[in-house]
Amino acid sequence: MKFTALILLLLICFTASAQITDSTTLIPEEEENYDNLSFADGNAKRFCTSKIFDLSPQKLISIGYDFQGGYAINSDTIGTYAPTTVRTNYSQGLRLMANIPVISRNNIIVQLGANYLEQRYQIDNTPTDNLLSTNLSRNGLRSTGLNTTIFKPLNERNFIIAQASADLNGDYGFNTIPSLRLLRYSGAAIFGWKTGDRRMFGVGLSRTYRVGEMNYIPIILWNWTSLNRKWGTEVLFPARAHVRRTINSRNMFFVGYELEGNSYKINSRNTLPSDFDNLEIRRSELRFRAMYEFSLYQFIWLSVQTGFRYNYGFNVDDVSGGNEFFRGFFGNQPYAMINTIGNTFYALVSINVVSP
Amino acid sequence: MINKFFALTTLLICSILFCKAQDNGDDLIGIWEPSSGKARVKIEKIGNKYYGKIVWLKEPLDPVNKQPKVDKNNPDESMRTVPLKGYRLLKDFEFKSKALWEDGTIYDPENGSTYNCTIKMKDKNTLDIRGYIGVSALGRTDVWKRLEIAKQEIKSN
Repeated sequence: MKFTALILLLLICFTASAQITDSTTLIPEEEENYDNLSFADGNAKRFCTSKIFDLSPQKLISIGYDFQGGYAINSDTIGTYAPTTVRTNYSQGLRLMANIPVISRNNIIVQLGANYLEQRYQIDNTPTDNLLSTNLSRNGLRSTGLNTTIFKPLNERNFIIAQASADLNGDYGFNTIPSLRLLRYSGAAIFGWKTGDRRMFGVGLSRTYRVGEMNYIPIILWNWTSLNRKWGTEVLFPARAHVRRTINSRNMFFVGYELEGNSYKINSRNTLPSDFDNLEIRRSELRFRAMYEFSLYQFIWLSVQTGFRYNYGFNVDDVSGGNEFFRGFFGNQPYAMINTIGNTFYALVSINVVSP
Repeated sequence: MINKFFALTTLLICSILFCKAQDNGDDLIGIWEPSSGKARVKIEKIGNKYYGKIVWLKEPLDPVNKQPKVDKNNPDESMRTVPLKGYRLLKDFEFKSKALWEDGTIYDPENGSTYNCTIKMKDKNTLDIRGYIGVSALGRTDVWKRLEIAKQEIKSN
């Protein structure tokens, strides 16, 4: 009797365990209707994703080279130094970037990034009384930073993007890295809407150095792809805005602009008189450009861009002790030195590993 | 005493059988929805390997020509007229250990690229699908959710 009961119990267990497996069994082919399915986990929610159709692929690793043609640098007087003009034959530099997703879930994506950008100035016959150009010619400018970007979908329609970065900018060398208290912090937050697989947009606020000095600027996100998927826009105004022509998923052409800038501590190497100890160059430039990006081999993409570099700012502020201040667009704090940079053509080539 | 012995033995055997059932590569079989919600994928077993094909598209027709969507981004030109519905985008996954399937690939019809891929089952209704390039660090994880026949449908049947 007990033996029979045990056999029965075992059979029941077998059946139960088989049912666990059967719960994953395919719907029979002849009855297949995949429209009326729901999440097996009743608590699961759908969230909007960070992409729309044909958005240019995200660059995980990028190695680039930037070249600008010749232009003049007109420097105003500073201290006892007279105004001067020098000619830069060209400027150029490396651009390295990495951006790795560290958390990638349906309800949050977190990316960490690092970047290194340099600008070296080739100036012949640097006049001895123009200390700014002497310093630029000798040391150039560098920017090294870390950043993070968080995409947080709230539901199938709304999302938040938060971005923060810390950059160390200046004329330092690798053996004269300045104090971390000179780090310059930027950030942005966007609230957005995704209205389908062809459009997402948002509004937000940024704390940015793209205009050279620290400023608070409203931002607009507008990513859109046309019905035939040949055209689109990739806009994060005012940082960048592009019209995209999608030739196919591995060939894309863009026309638009990017606003680049930062605040650079100069005299990090103490090669200039102490008058220059607290000075920062507020560098900002607009790059109007045409850009072609294409897959060289699978996930390796080449990006080639060329255009016109328009100087927005290259003035110098006295930032005593590295303490930042806010001038905004309407402040009247005087600059320590007013410089004018000529405009020129530029080209930037980069090779990139793009994200799946 | 004997009753207790029988009960314990039965419990032990049942537990072993239950665990064995759980530690089964076939748990992967079913209908799954990627995070984008644009498609539904049916994972099935062929031989000793697991494959997944698109069985449903949120937007099944090309909005321009009103024809069923095809794999127009495939680098192989001969494949560009193959319908996306029915397309096998997960291939060659082998069950390695509890809740882990490896050595497979995933195809992204959005850009025509094929990536190395591992599948981890977080729980019986959730998969972490990680597509990557060479090394796992250079990749992206997408979370897929298991689908079942809507409960209302079952009741009405």
